[in-house]
Amino acid sequence: MDVIPTEIRERIRYEARVSGLSGDSALSIEAVEKRRLQIWIIAGVLVVALSGAFAISSLNGGLEGNRWLRPGVLQIALVALALGFCVYAIEKEVHLHRLSRLIVDERVLNSALSKSLQQHSALMAAGRALNSVLDLDEVLDVILASALEMLRASAGSVMLLEGEDALRVVAVRGSETPRNARVMMGASIAGKVARTREPIILNGPVDTEKFPGRKKRAVAPDSAMCVPLQHRGHLLGVLNVSASGDRPFDEYDMQLLCLFAEPVAAAIAKAGLYEAERAHVSELLEAGRQTSQFVASVSHELRTPITSIRGAIAASRIATEFEQRAELLDVMERQALRLAHMVEEMLTAAKLERSESMPLLRRVDVAALIRMSALDSQVAGRPVELTVPETCEVRADPESLRRIIGNLVENAHKYGATPVRIVLDHDADQIVLSVIDSGPGVPPAEREKIFDRFYRSDTNGEKPGVGLGLPIVRGLAEACGGSVWVEDAPGGGAAFRVSLRTRAADEQEVAHVQ
Amino acid sequence: MSSKPKVLIVDDEPDVLLTLRVILEASGFDPALAADGETALRRIDAEHPDLVLLDIMMPVLDGWFVLAELAGRAKKPKVIVCSAKSADVDKARARDLGADAYVVKPWDPEALVQTMRDVLAAKHAGTTDNLRV
Repeated sequence: MDVIPTEIRERIRYEARVSGLSGDSALSIEAVEKRRLQIWIIAGVLVVALSGAFAISSLNGGLEGNRWLRPGVLQIALVALALGFCVYAIEKEVHLHRLSRLIVDERVLNSALSKSLQQHSALMAAGRALNSVLDLDEVLDVILASALEMLRASAGSVMLLEGEDALRVVAVRGSETPRNARVMMGASIAGKVARTREPIILNGPVDTEKFPGRKKRAVAPDSAMCVPLQHRGHLLGVLNVSASGDRPFDEYDMQLLCLFAEPVAAAIAKAGLYEAERAHVSELLEAGRQTSQFVASVSHELRTPITSIRGAIAASRIATEFEQRAELLDVMERQALRLAHMVEEMLTAAKLERSESMPLLRRVDVAALIRMSALDSQVAGRPVELTVPETCEVRADPESLRRIIGNLVENAHKYGATPVRIVLDHDADQIVLSVIDSGPGVPPAEREKIFDRFYRSDTNGEKPGVGLGLPIVRGLAEACGGSVWVEDAPGGGAAFRVSLRTRAADEQEVAHVQ
Repeated sequence: MSSKPKVLIVDDEPDVLLTLRVILEASGFDPALAADGETALRRIDAEHPDLVLLDIMMPVLDGWFVLAELAGRAKKPKVIVCSAKSADVDKARARDLGADAYVVKPWDPEALVQTMRDVLAAKHAGTTDNLRV
């Protein structure tokens, strides 16, 4: 492909024509040298011939009878002829010299432009490949395949930023670097490139003093390059390539890798957005599924008390005995309260979700409150054993605390097994209220999920409830400045623990702020 | 054998058991109670009721287990499933397991009693294909 600018081509044609060479065919340095030799041979032969003629004319004293061919005139003519030809030869030499320089320039340009074209076509091919995939793993695979092919490298890896101060290997090809390996910012070659955002090229053994933290390899590469991956000014990670044997990387390779790093970073950023979007859609679908499940649970939970109330009303119309009617009125009251409690739970969950009506925190004797809640639970048929001190003050909302304890005790009876215990531990700074059951405990994978709204560990819906009890506990505990979590109780069972700051710790903090 | 049809009410909600007992007594039935599937099967074996009003979601053994257990028997009582589960898939499952009718909670007391009478009448007429939902 002709990639030489027209101006150089025109100048070559001109110089070739002036030098007596054909400008149409491809000119070579050899042709120029040949032409140069021809000119100087002719020039030499002519000078020798003229010198001979000059000498002969000097010896013979010129041709007699011809005043124009007298010795003086003939000698002057011979010298002028020799000088004229020398000027001609020198002028040709100047043009030939220019021509050879232009031909060298043309070759350099041709080579450079060809290389640049190769780079661009390789980059375009890589760009097309990158655009054809969206999934991050596939993008990383294409990146490494393209980089290795483009640079004829033997190994490569992509490391992405993890947090603020570390890089993690997310894709590897042909290298012993383990996937998921972590490199701190500033450490080793990749860490240094990430920190300085400047590419590095290394040929030969790596100076470990220059790159502290670099691990020794079983087979060290002979040549390696590492470039930062940046998108819109943000560092995303680094791209490493290495080669061994007779393939040392040069500045052209580095330039190519730096150019490649731009679409690579854009593709990684795009894949990240795609992942985020996909996760968002999954979340929305999950939220939709949870909402459907919630609606199903609520309608199911509402049906049971309504059935009892309707049945009790119908039964009370036909009941003949006073005691029977009184019993049926109790049924109606109990089930109406159950409905009211459900509605209250849903409203509380909705308020906590919107962070509405934060409770007013005040001094509460949590030990006394636990004793009162235990009595309520006892009455509701959910007995608890207590291990609590005489008194223990926290800064909280008493109503929230009462509901936290009530929900945890109900949860322990519903999903755990008796005996259920409430234990209160405290030190100067915080109290930890534990509701411990004797059931199978909560599997580690579910220990966070059970605090999500509408989450039901019992997917068949065999247990009553709508999945709001524990989210309400967490919401109320956090509104009181505390936290809640679940763990295995020593000796088995689940231990739901609520931590709250003591009143003393709270007052100390207030004093400190003042 | 008593002249009143013997009905076993199976439900884990005490208030449902209580109200149904009052309604069924007043409607001319002879009710017996069970709060879980295990008790229900024991009472069916011991007392041979004519009809079982069966809840599905119960502790120990649920209503599906009771239905499956009864399905394999040559001589079995009529069964009306009374559940808060209203999905078609649950109704189809109950029919496949041999339930005679399916009533979704909250039921209308009068309609429930009528369904019970219809199911029992079908028994005497020898009709079996009468699943009501």
